[in-house]
Amino acid sequence: MSLPEPLIPKSLGDALKAKAGKNVVAIAGGTDILVKLHDRFDDPQPKLLILDHLKAIHKIAITKKEVTIGPLVTFSEIEKSDILKAHASQLTEAASLAGSTQIRNRATIGGNLANGSPAGDLISPLYVLGASLELSSSKSKRIVPIEEFFIGPGKTVLKSNELITAIKIPKLNNHGFFLRLATRRALAISKVSVAASLIIENKKIESIKIALGAVAPTVIRATRTEELLLGKALSPQVIADAASIIKEEARPIDDIRSNALYRKEMVGVLLKRGLEGILNG
Amino acid sequence: MVRNNMTEPTIDIRFYLNGIAFNRNAPASWTLLRFLRDALGYTGTKCGCEVGECGACTVIVDGQPVNACLILTPQIDGANIWTIEGVAAAGANELHPIQKAFLECDAAHCGFCSPGMIMSTIALFLKNSNPDDAQIKQALAGNLCRCTGYIQIIDAVRKAASKITENDLQKFVS
Repeated sequence: MSLPEPLIPKSLGDALKAKAGKNVVAIAGGTDILVKLHDRFDDPQPKLLILDHLKAIHKIAITKKEVTIGPLVTFSEIEKSDILKAHASQLTEAASLAGSTQIRNRATIGGNLANGSPAGDLISPLYVLGASLELSSSKSKRIVPIEEFFIGPGKTVLKSNELITAIKIPKLNNHGFFLRLATRRALAISKVSVAASLIIENKKIESIKIALGAVAPTVIRATRTEELLLGKALSPQVIADAASIIKEEARPIDDIRSNALYRKEMVGVLLKRGLEGILNG
Repeated sequence: MVRNNMTEPTIDIRFYLNGIAFNRNAPASWTLLRFLRDALGYTGTKCGCEVGECGACTVIVDGQPVNACLILTPQIDGANIWTIEGVAAAGANELHPIQKAFLECDAAHCGFCSPGMIMSTIALFLKNSNPDDAQIKQALAGNLCRCTGYIQIIDAVRKAASKITENDLQKFVS
């Protein structure tokens, strides 16, 4: 690996100006990018924009209405954050299960999003939490709902002159879970993941969002299953019905990590486990 | 691959390595792993997979275990780095208690994973000097061993935990 001279901005403003250059790729923890570059000797090699020193986008903040996560916040920091444990337990759970201690100490939430993998473990929690992303260039800023950010495997609406500058999560008093399956518990990319966020009042499901990872070209919502569950009280029968419908909402493929048939079945199993966890409190 | 090709862009970085202040000009697209081994001659940190899966290159940066193969030299500017070479006290003719426990428990067979295993063990003890087996396994989940089957390594960490004192760990965060 031999790369052109990297850009090392000292401020977010400088970083955004630098991002407008040709063939510039932002690097934070490097746990995806350096793996991709490892065996790549073709031209042109990207100019790396090293974001490590930008403290302004490396913090978690809370206001009355929302929690804001800087894109440089690492998986380890998410895992340990009391704010996120209280308001986004799905996210802290997902962060704690990814990679290894070494990877979690470097990997960032911004990188997990920008990398755009349908198996990115922080994405399905952010879907069910209704997150939105602040995308900035040196000239403008826009807010994009997380469900509009991804357009295919490795493809997002982030423009070449933009950086993700914030991840915003509305404060919800929700029950939730994140469950995943992978070949081993550590250092394995998810074959399937299921995240959910529920608001339950007087035993009835008042609001529900379910998102599935690694079973479609992007993370997807399981809207038919959500509709089935909405307004109902959780019971073994309702959970069984939901688990059977959700299998048909997954659109997985066969690949090196798993096969479509198994993934469909496991989507149902994970939903069942998650909902039973809530039912049995 | 061309080594020390000075046409490569370089960067001036300052860092502490095993308690010693360094001020070096480093190739900017080199990983910390390559820089340690090929530029500084610190070959105790092993090069295994180079993609963050095996943990053989685990070093401690600012108190946290990380894969040296996934960090570029500009990213260690200002950092405090510890490698296996700095684990035993400088000048002392004695191993660190964690290294002793690895020897006593036969936790090193071929030895290739040992430096990384020991750095991950130090990082675990910095947070929790009395871990249970589940916590030990979780802390070492990013370090692969293809000889021992892990039993002796977990024994060694348990044994080291019973012997370790605050003094044995202090330098890794200072």
